[in-house]
Amino acid sequence: MGIALGLTIVFGMLRLVNFAHGAFYTIGAYVGLVVSNRVGLIPGLIAAPIAVAIFALIFDYALLRRFYTKEPTAQILVTFGVAIIVEEALRLIFSGTTQSYQTPAWTQTAINLGFVQYPAYRLVFGLGIVVLITALWFFIERTNYGLIVRAGIRDRTMVQLLGGNVRQASTIVFVLGAAVAGLVGAAASPIYSVDPGKGFEFLVPSFVVIVIGGLGSFGGAILGGLIVGELQSITTLIAPAASDIIIYVAMALVLLVRPQGLLGESEVIRG
Amino acid sequence: MNITGSSPTRARFIAGSAAAAAATFASINVIAAPMKEVVIGLNVPQTGPYSDQGLDQLRAYHLAIDEINASGGVMGMQIKATEGDDQTKPPVAVENARRMIERDGAVMITGGSSTGTAIAVSGLCQEKKVIFMATLTHGNEPTDVDCHYHTFRRYNNAYMSAHAMARTLLSKYGTGRWFYITADYSWGHSNFESLGEVLEPKGAKTIKNVLLPLGTTDFSSALSQAQAAKPDVLVIIEFGKDMVNALNQAAQFGLTKSTKILVPLADEYMAKGTGDNFDNVVTTAPFYWKYHAEKYPAAKKFVEAFIKKNGVPPSNGAECAYVDIYQWKEGVERAGSLDPKKFIEKMEGHKFTATKEQESWRAFDHQGINSCLVMEGVPQASRTGEFSQFAYAKVLEVHDGASVSIPEGVSKCKIESA
Repeated sequence: MGIALGLTIVFGMLRLVNFAHGAFYTIGAYVGLVVSNRVGLIPGLIAAPIAVAIFALIFDYALLRRFYTKEPTAQILVTFGVAIIVEEALRLIFSGTTQSYQTPAWTQTAINLGFVQYPAYRLVFGLGIVVLITALWFFIERTNYGLIVRAGIRDRTMVQLLGGNVRQASTIVFVLGAAVAGLVGAAASPIYSVDPGKGFEFLVPSFVVIVIGGLGSFGGAILGGLIVGELQSITTLIAPAASDIIIYVAMALVLLVRPQGLLGESEVIRG
Repeated sequence: MNITGSSPTRARFIAGSAAAAAATFASINVIAAPMKEVVIGLNVPQTGPYSDQGLDQLRAYHLAIDEINASGGVMGMQIKATEGDDQTKPPVAVENARRMIERDGAVMITGGSSTGTAIAVSGLCQEKKVIFMATLTHGNEPTDVDCHYHTFRRYNNAYMSAHAMARTLLSKYGTGRWFYITADYSWGHSNFESLGEVLEPKGAKTIKNVLLPLGTTDFSSALSQAQAAKPDVLVIIEFGKDMVNALNQAAQFGLTKSTKILVPLADEYMAKGTGDNFDNVVTTAPFYWKYHAEKYPAAKKFVEAFIKKNGVPPSNGAECAYVDIYQWKEGVERAGSLDPKKFIEKMEGHKFTATKEQESWRAFDHQGINSCLVMEGVPQASRTGEFSQFAYAKVLEVHDGASVSIPEGVSKCKIESA
């Protein structure tokens, strides 16, 4: 859900189909790995989003902003290309083998919640996601930057005539979306381990999440994430073999019944 | 409408005919020239859940090929490798192998880090009458119910692991209540059945077997069930990255402290990825670089050459890959031919010594018979030496391969005659 959030705000605000979003997750995971295994988990969680934000800023200035107004096909090709370059570069530097975080002792314990013993790290991770969602919502709905970006989607020229810097706000949104993916990459890796292909692994379900929830819809990403997570968990219990395909079946059904996604606006589909 | 954008002319016709004639004579020349190269197909997962193992096998294949080519090749022919990434998916593995055979002219296919891919490729190789040296495949099927005339498998199988571990499991783990988390494909099923056959007659009770698809990243639903069931033993029949995630997540659920953990098959990369969580875990392996390099000069030579070339010691799958290339080379040379039938005749029942004790190839199922190690993981603090991350276990027992292999009377292998 964390990755889907970054993906959907970038799409919703910038109309950018970003296949490099998985690469942001992977860079965050590796920065987190290097820093946390040398200094500690918390510094790793701080360093990862900062490093990914810097990478995204350079990526945006050097390449991506030329494609903001291009066809989605061109956006997909350029972001997909960057994702492949990042994956292979990480493979060269770190080799393709699985790496694991050396985490503090508290992450290896379960907390008794009365009805179930639940891993302490997953609890903290879940709470962190709630805080992250709240902070992102606040930024989009309650800050001037969020206002400019939301207005820019409706009428970019008018906002610029009124003195709003849409380009700057767009860059901030893109970098913020990337930093969220980087942070989630570092925070999720003690659970899922790290390898150069991890970003792609999570990218496809993330697209499913935002398609189900509604492309560009902040609430939709949250709802889609919950639906996808629950569907997979329940199917694993009932029919494990179907747990891989159930989310795609759900996506197909949603697209048939409500093409704009559960919380999406039909305007989004028309582009 | 002229689709090509150019019209046919007399000059173009003559030029085209000349080019076609040149190509025809060129290809005749290629066919007529003495064969200087022999093509083999290396079909391993380079991406996906078993890619750590696949990439390490690839390193070992190349080491063996380089050594053989440097010393004159196979009957004077240089080995040329064609590669494919099977992604641990049987359909992809089959398409790779088909391309290697039909397009590249491969006379032998080797690889596989999964029983699923091995079974699929074995079927294709039987159809194409091409030798398949299955490397890292541990399910029983490739030399049992799905055995084929053109397939050989040297790696230990699930039956061997279960029977080798039996004594240790009963003494260390007791009989009690056993909870299984199993990869939902042939290899997982094979291990679950083989362990059950050994343990249940002794009184061990299987309380649940949760099947999860290959490539599962989040094991929380299965681990929650395991936690609620409070078993005496948690058996994790997962491999590669899946096992790393399963065991690390089991530790986060507190299960490595409250429950005894068993992993029927492990390797260096899985132990490295799980670190201290692998401490005290019982497992099996056909080869362990640290153990065999101290015991056998040929293993020492291989381990040193591998480290020199790759900077890391070989995993047990890499050792099998290395030996498989040499076994194919020596088989071809004994046969004096690339003809599969002659090769198979020279392989069946053949005894050899490579990096372990004396080994053999069984004629009735083409299973390689060699020892099986029962091992126990050690904590990172006690992993010493230059490659401490890979020095993951102590060897508890070494079982003679013949004593733990599927007996001929029990085997379901009905191998073809050609």
